[in-house]
Amino acid sequence: MIDLQNIHKIYPTTNGSLVALNGINLRIKRGEIFGVIGKSGAGKSTLIRCINMLERPTEGTVVVDNEDITAMPEKELRQARKKIGMIFQHFNLLSSRTVYDNVAFPLELQGMSPAQIKDTVMPLLELVGLETKKDQFPSQLSGGQKQRVGIARALANKPKVLLCDEATSALDPQTTKSILSLLKSINTKFQLTIVLITHEMHVIKEICDQVAVIEGGEIVEQGSILQTFTKPQSNTTREFVSTIMNHDIPAVLAEHDFSKQPQPDSNLILRLSFIGHSAEEPIIASMIRHFNVVPNILFGNIDQIQNTPYGTLVIELAGEQQSIQNALNYLRSKELGIEVIGYVSRHARAIG
Amino acid sequence: MSQDMLVLLAESLWETIYMVSVSAFIASIIGLPMGIILTTTAKGHILEQPWINKVLGAVVNATRSTPFIILMVAIIPLTRLIAGTSIGTNAAIVPLTIAAAPFIARIVESSLKEVDTGVVEAAQAMGASPLQIITKVLLPEALPSIILGLTLAIISLIGFSAMAGAIGGGGLGDLAIRYGYQRFRADIMLITVIILIVQVQVVQSCGDYFSRKLNKK
Ligand SMILES: Nc1ncnc2c1ncn2[C@@H]1O[C@H](COP(=O)(O)OP(=O)(O)OP(=O)(O)O)[C@@H](O)[C@H]1O
Ligand SMILES: [Mg+2]
Repeated sequence: MIDLQNIHKIYPTTNGSLVALNGINLRIKRGEIFGVIGKSGAGKSTLIRCINMLERPTEGTVVVDNEDITAMPEKELRQARKKIGMIFQHFNLLSSRTVYDNVAFPLELQGMSPAQIKDTVMPLLELVGLETKKDQFPSQLSGGQKQRVGIARALANKPKVLLCDEATSALDPQTTKSILSLLKSINTKFQLTIVLITHEMHVIKEICDQVAVIEGGEIVEQGSILQTFTKPQSNTTREFVSTIMNHDIPAVLAEHDFSKQPQPDSNLILRLSFIGHSAEEPIIASMIRHFNVVPNILFGNIDQIQNTPYGTLVIELAGEQQSIQNALNYLRSKELGIEVIGYVSRHARAIG
Repeated sequence: MSQDMLVLLAESLWETIYMVSVSAFIASIIGLPMGIILTTTAKGHILEQPWINKVLGAVVNATRSTPFIILMVAIIPLTRLIAGTSIGTNAAIVPLTIAAAPFIARIVESSLKEVDTGVVEAAQAMGASPLQIITKVLLPEALPSIILGLTLAIISLIGFSAMAGAIGGGGLGDLAIRYGYQRFRADIMLITVIILIVQVQVVQSCGDYFSRKLNKK
């Protein structure tokens, strides 16, 4: 649906040029909710604004629905933009227009008749739950309601793509949840492709199918949500994941020295993550049965990522070094995420 | 006060109203598009045209920095050309308009610049053309502020029109100088001043009222 090829964006500034995007390649499938996460200044807004040419890339091609919009003349581009809805962090509603007239705005631009406009606007207001507010002005609405108007307005032209630039960043957690579930239901109902940028991992976790992590104008990691959350590859991703999942080393271990290599007389500290079905298998029990090791559970947590159960367990294995290695190999043969935190001297730990 | 004096006052008041409203009207017709051009051709705006912007800006500044009394005298040939004479209310309308138009242009410009860039961007993202952005976004969003600005322009015009009276333009200023000053009629002086003050108050109150009524922020 959306294909970004080698996107570069360079801003000329007084002290040299600033590379905001540095060779971005992304492919977003039809009907997907695609999240882009990054820290402040990473280039998120620049990236999403390149998709509808609010920002023209210095280099590279943007293909939306099989049309190269980077090559379009102004007039054609305006037509193409009607099929790309956008919602904003600060809603950007017209303060002089009522809720109804705000949603009608994109239709007026098309030159639609008032009767046709009404037939389109009313169902949209119903969809976002604002029928009763149709004659109010934006200043009389709460943030969540304003964003609902923004969503209805963005849907008025029946777009194929919806771009969300930090759409929930100005909202409280509860309102954020309701807006996200509205977006999810729209996504399913209309098979709408949604691109969502945010700096908040829980937004990604809540509704995205795919995520890309952007840093310094480059995509540093990309994949399915489950994969990214359970096996983060880059440090930035790990940091983001840890904002909502505890990936820290449990406090009881914090003061110990770890070695990455097996040491004589040492215990192995492991982080195991169980996803979906593997969470239901009695892996730990059979490990104890087959290998002469004593596990000690230091930390455990069960979470859900979009209906898939996901558990983390930090365990300490005590026993003969050979047995520990055998147990480790056994665990590695199973469908679970394993992270060797390190080996810690048995003297330091008073177990086993 | 005599019957004649009252008639004279009423005539002068009418002349002032006539001069101010006609020149405000024409100046708005000229100033509004100028303000729109000044805004939209600025750097980073929807019709970025640095050269047009610079030239127009310079013209506006030049007119605005000329004191009205000098402007009025300096353009007498032009006034004669347009109005056929250089004295009387019709003649006064020419310099009043020329003085007010750039003032209004700047007022409109600053009102339009206050419109949230996010809103303009949202319209662009919906595929609005520059003309649609001007007529459907910029002007309606800035309207309350433009009305306040126009109120200010009209009040300045009332002041200018009194000055125009000094060189035979008619109106309350003319009356005040001819009778109040040259013939030592303190009562006439006082009455014209009071009428001018009331006029300004009324204009300001109307402007405030409409601006508040239209402001949905
Ligand atoms: N118009 C511009 N001119 C010059 N530099 C810009 C411009 N817009 C953005 N930048 C720079 O490009 C970089 C990326 O900005 P961008 O707004 O895309 O970041 P972001 O990831 O959206 O950050 P935030 O989370 O703070 O919104 C920043 O270093 C920013 O300063
Ligand atoms: Mg941003």
